[in-house]
Amino acid sequence: MKSREQFIQDLAPKKFTKVEKIWLGLLIVMILAGVVAYADQVRSGLQVTNLNDYALWGIYISNFVFFIATSFVGAATVAILRLTQNSWRTPLVRIAEIISLAAIIMAGITIIIDLGRPDRALYTVIYARFQSPITWDVIIIPTYMVAIFYLLYFPLLPDLAILKKYYSETKPRLSKWYGKLSLNWKGTDKQKRIQQKSIKIIAILVLPLGLILQTIDAWLFSSTYRIGWNSTNFGPYFISGAFVAGVGTLVVTIFLVRKVKGLEEYITDYHFDRMGKFLALACLIYLYFNANEYLMPAYASTVNEEVHLDTLFTGHYSTIFWFVTIGGLVVPIILLMFKKGRSPVAMFWIGVLVVLASWWKRYIIVTPTLLHPYLPIQGVPESWRDYFPSLHEWVITGSNLATALLILTLLVRYLPVVAIQRTIDESKLEHNDQKRES
Amino acid sequence: MKNCKITSFVFLFILISLGLGISDNDLYAQTKKNRARINADYVKVIGGESYLNIKASARIDKKTVEVSHIDLQILQELNDEEIQIGKTTTNASGISKFIIEDFANLQPDSLGVYNLIISFDGNDSFKKASRDVSFRNADIEAKWIVKDSVNYVSAKLIDTQLDSALAEIPLTVRVDRLFRPLKIGEDFYDTDNDGEIQVPIENGIPGIDGNLKLEVVLSESDDYGTVIAQLTAPIGTVIVDESTYDQRTMWSPRGKTPIFLLALTYSFIFIVWGIFIYLFINLVRIIKS
Amino acid sequence: MEESNKSARRKFLDKGLKLGFAAALGGIGITKVAQKLSAKPNHSSHDKMELMDTEGNIIEVDSTEVMEITPKTDPDEKYNMREGIPNRKFVMVVDLAKCKNALACQSACNKHHYITGDNAWIKVYNMQESADTAPYWMPVTCQHCDEPACVTVCPVDATFKRRDGLVLIDNERCIGCRFCMAACPYSIRVFNWNEPDQGEIYVNMEAEMSHHKPSPEHAGAPSKMGTVDKCDFCPHAVQNNELPHCVTACPNGVFYFGDKYEDTVTNGQESLRLSKLLEDKAGYRYMEALGTQPSVYYLPPTDRLVDFKDGLENYNEYESVPNPE
Repeated sequence: MKSREQFIQDLAPKKFTKVEKIWLGLLIVMILAGVVAYADQVRSGLQVTNLNDYALWGIYISNFVFFIATSFVGAATVAILRLTQNSWRTPLVRIAEIISLAAIIMAGITIIIDLGRPDRALYTVIYARFQSPITWDVIIIPTYMVAIFYLLYFPLLPDLAILKKYYSETKPRLSKWYGKLSLNWKGTDKQKRIQQKSIKIIAILVLPLGLILQTIDAWLFSSTYRIGWNSTNFGPYFISGAFVAGVGTLVVTIFLVRKVKGLEEYITDYHFDRMGKFLALACLIYLYFNANEYLMPAYASTVNEEVHLDTLFTGHYSTIFWFVTIGGLVVPIILLMFKKGRSPVAMFWIGVLVVLASWWKRYIIVTPTLLHPYLPIQGVPESWRDYFPSLHEWVITGSNLATALLILTLLVRYLPVVAIQRTIDESKLEHNDQKRES
Repeated sequence: MKNCKITSFVFLFILISLGLGISDNDLYAQTKKNRARINADYVKVIGGESYLNIKASARIDKKTVEVSHIDLQILQELNDEEIQIGKTTTNASGISKFIIEDFANLQPDSLGVYNLIISFDGNDSFKKASRDVSFRNADIEAKWIVKDSVNYVSAKLIDTQLDSALAEIPLTVRVDRLFRPLKIGEDFYDTDNDGEIQVPIENGIPGIDGNLKLEVVLSESDDYGTVIAQLTAPIGTVIVDESTYDQRTMWSPRGKTPIFLLALTYSFIFIVWGIFIYLFINLVRIIKS
Repeated sequence: MEESNKSARRKFLDKGLKLGFAAALGGIGITKVAQKLSAKPNHSSHDKMELMDTEGNIIEVDSTEVMEITPKTDPDEKYNMREGIPNRKFVMVVDLAKCKNALACQSACNKHHYITGDNAWIKVYNMQESADTAPYWMPVTCQHCDEPACVTVCPVDATFKRRDGLVLIDNERCIGCRFCMAACPYSIRVFNWNEPDQGEIYVNMEAEMSHHKPSPEHAGAPSKMGTVDKCDFCPHAVQNNELPHCVTACPNGVFYFGDKYEDTVTNGQESLRLSKLLEDKAGYRYMEALGTQPSVYYLPPTDRLVDFKDGLENYNEYESVPNPE
């Protein structure tokens, strides 16, 4: 059994390696490019995008939906796995919480980028109209953000105290910061009691909040008359989609972090195996809702619905649609059935496929519907009948991703990605159990 | 001397340019003046104003355009004399409504005809023009009656000067509506030998508080111009506000949000953020202990 | 020496004065010539006033165009622009039997709302329900729905439904989220993706609208970048007892406009009882089944007065706002 000191040494954050520094540099360059592109957009207006009066929402909204979906992972891994008493989640929850936090922050930023008058963004608070789904979004996003923050912070306290001691000699200034943030954590019974109670509360609260968040995001679309959006299926459809996107992102991130931080002992093949099954479950559920969304309307559909399904099944968007459905769902399910498919490296590539498919899935949800409105598209330039993002939009999208990754990188750099105290506690329990048995 | 030559040259040049500059319309000598056409109708509202509806137009490049902002004089012709009774200017659309302020001041000629002239003295772009308007004074007495539970508008048309009823003259009955009045019944009702008409008013015409502003109109008659008699009759159906403006609906402004929505969102916010505050207090307790 | 100096001075002064005087006169003369050469033809000479438009440019306006406004100070009479004209409910009737795609409605609307950009606010659609049924021309304006989807989803109260039935946009409030555009099933809303190029048009607007103060009652005057615009049923004209511009402009009498409470609509030439018109000609509303309760009624294209093909020469599938070359 490892000693306490050994645990701490393994899990404590380490300085940036050269590779990580290059990574940071690239991220910052991408972010700056996005800032320049956005400044241009603020100056000359949304004409820098390829949006028009028909394709009025494009990848800015896809990005927004994608980030909201990804932010569900915190609620999924922490709350769901906790409620179902899956103890293998321990080394994964911290990363899941960090991903959630980064994603929900980016969702807030991304939606402001889409506004025609970002200078009036605060009107959504000052002049809020409660009948509008956007107002519900404005309420739930900060709420969920705070919930994820608490979810991350409460279990972090003992670890911060540990790190304060660990760095007290080698890095006194850093140690002082850890000390401040650890809120005077001494590990007393009283503190532990408060902390455990708080964690219990927030872990339970974050799940309904996450479900509400995904539902409201879905209702942004299904509260309109548009064919392809006006579906009663959208709420659970988006929830299960968030499930898939979230766990996919988690898998990819965990693999990379594990490699970079050398955490193979703590995040083992067993964890990947379990995550694989979790991901397969998520994909199966999502596939079921996809069938509800696309197969059933194909059976009995109005003219407008038929037009919508035609574009997806055989028309202009068919390549993306089949990639997203087969490549993003069916293939992962099949691969994850096999034990080899749940090995870390395989999981990584399946995760990448799932994440890519998740992003393009949101594109499929937003754009095709807008391009077949009820009235024919007439009286406008021919280029308006199609939409593909412009350079500005791609740069800003890349910059959004880079910002999310930057937040992730910084948090992973300074926070222990595997909960130290809990790992120690759990290994002690294991050890005690083993002792008793022998 | 050279200086003198230069000076005289300069003088000459200056004089010439001055000469060119001072003469006014010369550079436009080649522009032909257009002819303005003036149309005018006389309208009399019984118990209201009498006025001339004047419209000035011109045909330029084969298109009819309105002539705006020109000054017109209104004169009365009496005993071969023209007496000015007023002035007016056409607006941006070439239209002017000249109200005859004091009808009593006008005098008819020996035949009982009022003769007015609208005169335009011409300007830089248009030649002089004028239009004569002649009319007799007519009156319409209008009232509403009920006969056998049917509402009627009854009206009598008389020539004021001769004080005699005018027969076989077509009148219309209409109700005042937004933009344009709505004709009631037939296109025209001819007055009988007593100069009277009786027009049934159907039920179901809406009016504010059930009141209908009705008009009996002699339209653009050669002798009398247009004569309008107005009356208000409480024989319409009451207009009821059907809008949802006062109700709490999903499309109302933020001040009229449906109660259930307000209750739901506020209670959600209070409960969840209440818990957040509690958790924050816990953090504080952790620091303190 | 002094003698020669004095005389030189005298000569110099003498010449200088003469020259200066001549120059002044000549200057006046030359200026007048220049003015005449560059002057625009005037129908009449009036006093001109110098005013500043909202961009800060000085423009000259005929003083007859400028009217003094006595502000309404009586609180009882204060007009609530978000509530609208009292005792009215505006409706429009479009007679599809008469429409031959003359597009006069579109030109008038484009002109009077200073529309730049690529998407007109009123469009005449080439409609054909199925291959077997006959095609027809269908003008579509904002339907000013009684249960407007666009108003329901606006997060900041920028678009609003009035008591008199109109749905208007406050472009000082709009945040440009375009949710209303996504919600509208009639696709009539238009977005200002860039700074609306109303520059030259705007100066004309200032001259034409003597007491112009930007208001949702005259949409497009001016438009703002990053906000949404649409047909407003011309309340600025209605307040002056004039019909909306599309109604007046149509040479075929296609549009009827009026007050539903008064049960009367007019196309400028004929006035009709609305209920009777809808009954006689089987009026209906477009996409009634969606439940938006539009305020625009259509009369089906039966007993057509015009041939559908006549409208094809005017039909431009890819343009509704002709942009100056």
